[in-house]
Amino acid sequence: MAKRAGPQQLAAVLVFVLLVPVAAISGGSLATRAQDKSTITMWLDSTSGSETAECRIAAAVDPFNAQSDSVMVEPRLQPNRWQATQTALAAGEGPDVVYTPGPAFATQVTEAGQFLPLDAYAEQYGWNERFAPWALDLGKSDGVLYNIPNQVETLALFYNQTLFEENGWQPPTTIDELAALSEEIAAAGIIPFAHANQEFRDANEWFIGEYLNHVAGPENVYAALTGEKPWTDPEFVDAISALNEAQQNGWFMGGVDRYYTTTFADANAALAAGEAAMKIEGSWTVADLNTFFGESGSEWGWVPMPSTSGDAIYDLGIGSTVSINANAENPDAVAEFIDYLFTPETQARLVVECGDSPASVPLEEDALAGIDPQYAEILVAQNEASAAGGYGYTVWTFFPPETRTHMIENIERLWSGGMTVEEYLQDVQTTFDQEVADGAVPPIPNRSLTG
Amino acid sequence: MRDTAVQTHPSLALHRPRWSRARLRRHAVPWLFVLPILLINLLVVLGPAVAAVYYSMTDWSGIGAADFVGLANYQELFFEDPSFLSAFVHNVVWLAMFLTVPIAMGLIAASLLAPIRRGALFFRLALFIPYVLPSVVVAHLWSSLIHPDRGVVGWLNERGVPGTDIALLGRESTVLPTIAFIDNWRWWGFLMVLFLAGMQNIPPDLFEAARLDGANRWQEFRDVTLPGIRPVLVFMILMTSIWSFLTFDFIWIITQGGPAGASEVLSILVFKNAFQNFEAGYAAAIGITMSLFVGVVISIFVVLRRRGWEI
Amino acid sequence: MNRPFGRGRDLSLTPNYVVLVALLIFSLGPLAIMVLNSVKSRAEIGENPLGLPNDFEWSNYARAWEVGNFSTTMVNSGLLVAGSVVGVLVLGGMAAYSLAKLNLSGAGALMLFLLVISSLPIHLFLVPLFVLWREIGLLNSFVGLVIIYIALNAPLGIFLLRSYMLQLPRDFEDAARVDGAGEWQIFARIVVPLSWPGFLTVGLVVALAVWNEFLLATVFLQDESKFTVITSYQNFATRFSRDWSLTSAAAVMMILPILVIFLIFQRRFIEGMTQGGMKG
Repeated sequence: MAKRAGPQQLAAVLVFVLLVPVAAISGGSLATRAQDKSTITMWLDSTSGSETAECRIAAAVDPFNAQSDSVMVEPRLQPNRWQATQTALAAGEGPDVVYTPGPAFATQVTEAGQFLPLDAYAEQYGWNERFAPWALDLGKSDGVLYNIPNQVETLALFYNQTLFEENGWQPPTTIDELAALSEEIAAAGIIPFAHANQEFRDANEWFIGEYLNHVAGPENVYAALTGEKPWTDPEFVDAISALNEAQQNGWFMGGVDRYYTTTFADANAALAAGEAAMKIEGSWTVADLNTFFGESGSEWGWVPMPSTSGDAIYDLGIGSTVSINANAENPDAVAEFIDYLFTPETQARLVVECGDSPASVPLEEDALAGIDPQYAEILVAQNEASAAGGYGYTVWTFFPPETRTHMIENIERLWSGGMTVEEYLQDVQTTFDQEVADGAVPPIPNRSLTG
Repeated sequence: MRDTAVQTHPSLALHRPRWSRARLRRHAVPWLFVLPILLINLLVVLGPAVAAVYYSMTDWSGIGAADFVGLANYQELFFEDPSFLSAFVHNVVWLAMFLTVPIAMGLIAASLLAPIRRGALFFRLALFIPYVLPSVVVAHLWSSLIHPDRGVVGWLNERGVPGTDIALLGRESTVLPTIAFIDNWRWWGFLMVLFLAGMQNIPPDLFEAARLDGANRWQEFRDVTLPGIRPVLVFMILMTSIWSFLTFDFIWIITQGGPAGASEVLSILVFKNAFQNFEAGYAAAIGITMSLFVGVVISIFVVLRRRGWEI
Repeated sequence: MNRPFGRGRDLSLTPNYVVLVALLIFSLGPLAIMVLNSVKSRAEIGENPLGLPNDFEWSNYARAWEVGNFSTTMVNSGLLVAGSVVGVLVLGGMAAYSLAKLNLSGAGALMLFLLVISSLPIHLFLVPLFVLWREIGLLNSFVGLVIIYIALNAPLGIFLLRSYMLQLPRDFEDAARVDGAGEWQIFARIVVPLSWPGFLTVGLVVALAVWNEFLLATVFLQDESKFTVITSYQNFATRFSRDWSLTSAAAVMMILPILVIFLIFQRRFIEGMTQGGMKG
């Protein structure tokens, strides 16, 4: 080492530090694309394993790539997809085909100007005719279509049929029957509802939505969502009180502390083992039910979530949306893929092969051959409700985001006695009013029962 | 290379006559040594943090453009958002727990271990091991262990041991201390090793002198051991105070702030607002406020030091 | 070695041992349960969650290794740890040297700056940092994440190394200076060798922090092939929340490397701490 080498070596380190970012930039720009087809990117969520994502690639992406002369879709498995998407969008990047977890999320991104309008493509490909109008309405901002609603879901009352038969219990149809049966089940030393939210606090909204729509009725929820009726009205007080009672009685997993600390897997296992009797959940749970009941050897059954009147009411929700990134280099190519993704044939493949919930497109009965018969029943029922217009409103699809957050967080304060039902609903009303003023309420499709 | 250096940084301008070599050594070289890490910290922390100051005065959703709204976020935070106050209180409770329990455990274990010859190394290692475990593993492990339907507590519960039929993480009154307990399980052994190291640096004649004066164990601990490890103790109190306002990992992994917000601390509020509620501007305001609390803690220490406390 | 306590005393050490053994069970018991469960079958854990395994189900490890994709994530975590440790030791060591041994004008301000930097909440600057990293092309790259890890871990490293270096006698440096050695030479040839236990300590602390880091790794590395061991464990544990044997096996595998390194270096590590102290 030369005698006065000190500053030189320091400078070398310095230069290194300064040059690293430069090298990284030039390295990035060296990536070239050498295909004849225009390439578009999409991310598939692989947070809970890659099987479903790989199945979706096989059912939707590979066949598309095989049949398209001009477009090549590059799928990428992305754990925690939504968080990754948000951060990428914030920086003006992200995949060409953008998925969000639902209309409320999609609206936020739309308003930030990150999505392209789809009306011209809807015209070109006939999407307006293909999708149920209520669903497509939810993808609009100021009357312009930005987001295609994917994965229509409904909730139902699932139960351990073997357990019910052994005890001579009948699946209930009214809310009063549900309460009476819950008492009977609890008296028999069995947990009435396998409900839990340890991994997913937002599960609270399933129960809030079900009780609102099924105790107060979807007409009243519609009236409140359109500002014609306050959330503090007695019908809603009854609904939230009924939910609170179920929790206070220890019907949800045996007590509120268990509700907070049990995983979905443990809850499902308890249901399948006959330690719990029922649960209210979305159609997405069918695959898990088949797994857990397959292990326990019992049978599961389902009925519509009971209602005050005894009428079958299906609350509808949108599980995800699909949009075109505003920074997409070739939007036409993206639209071509989206059109393919939402053809009834592709949707049917996703349902049959990957257990997906379908978009609100007309599915051929033949194409659904081979799926779980009870799942098919649920799909038929939800499609009929969707077509007839008598459906109820899930919180995550039809409620504005901040109101939704307040409902989910404050229900725990209600359960813990830190809030009364009236205070809970008053807070919903206050937050909702604010969001109405801010224009944050999603477009609520007109409620017509004529179908 | 020298030419590059000269062009890269003016303070390296060796050819300027008024910079004698001696002067260079005295003034420029010391800064040259700190410059690389300083630049990295400016790039990674300070720059983005300054950007966050700006975002805290906007309605930025985290995506797209941000509109300037002045101090509206702070107004909402301090006067309209009850979850802020409750989260702050939880941070203070957390601080109180971590200033007492782990420090006491570390001191007790260290002073019990210090006079031991046989097995000393083994104890020191074994008690330290939890500290090397990742928070994710510790959180999953303990959540299972203390669940009344699983693990050790479940095993006791099955045998009818009273008090074991409670999901400690599912009750508002117990959730925060329980998470703190889990975090502390991993943490206190680290403190013990530091304290032990400090104790072994105390000159033995001080203990001899105390003994000659007839001091008992407690007096010896109070008059010799504690003053002897004061620097490390004070440093760890400072770091504990800072970290208590930043705590995130265990709470996020175990409860995400629930149930009913009973384990919500400020960092959880930031995360929820930034990544779940599309309120990145508001989240930035909470983050700035957290930093201010930390600033207050540091200022107190600086002031005490100026007043001649040997910190 | 001097024994500060107890020598020549009649006090029995039995109470010390009793308390220490209790603490030992508290510290290692949960870990032992985890290790035992990692070799039980899922069915056996249900019946026998606490005792010794009847049959050793070593296949848990093979399965967890494969399903958790540990062959990739272990390498990734190793690269991140290596880069961060080298960065903190070199750059932080230089800064500590300057603070401890050179007459740095504004040293107090710099210390305060580092303290402030290290106490800023990560969530405060996470999103702006992400945007910046995307702009300069450092996203989804190990280099980009290593730079962040260096920045976040350097302050504590500098504090530790500085206090270590402050305790070194000045004789060697002064002699070298008289001989006309440059500061870099004094740093590299005299101070670093003398304070290498301190460097080892800092290296271990940084290695630990980086190996165990979760939030930044998930946000800044989005490509599954770049995942770290901790993100794959988190996904894994969520996915197999009921399979305690599998998640235990995964946990044991991911803590094993860091544990081995710690046990190998523990003497130097604790020695480094003893001599360096932790003065602010």
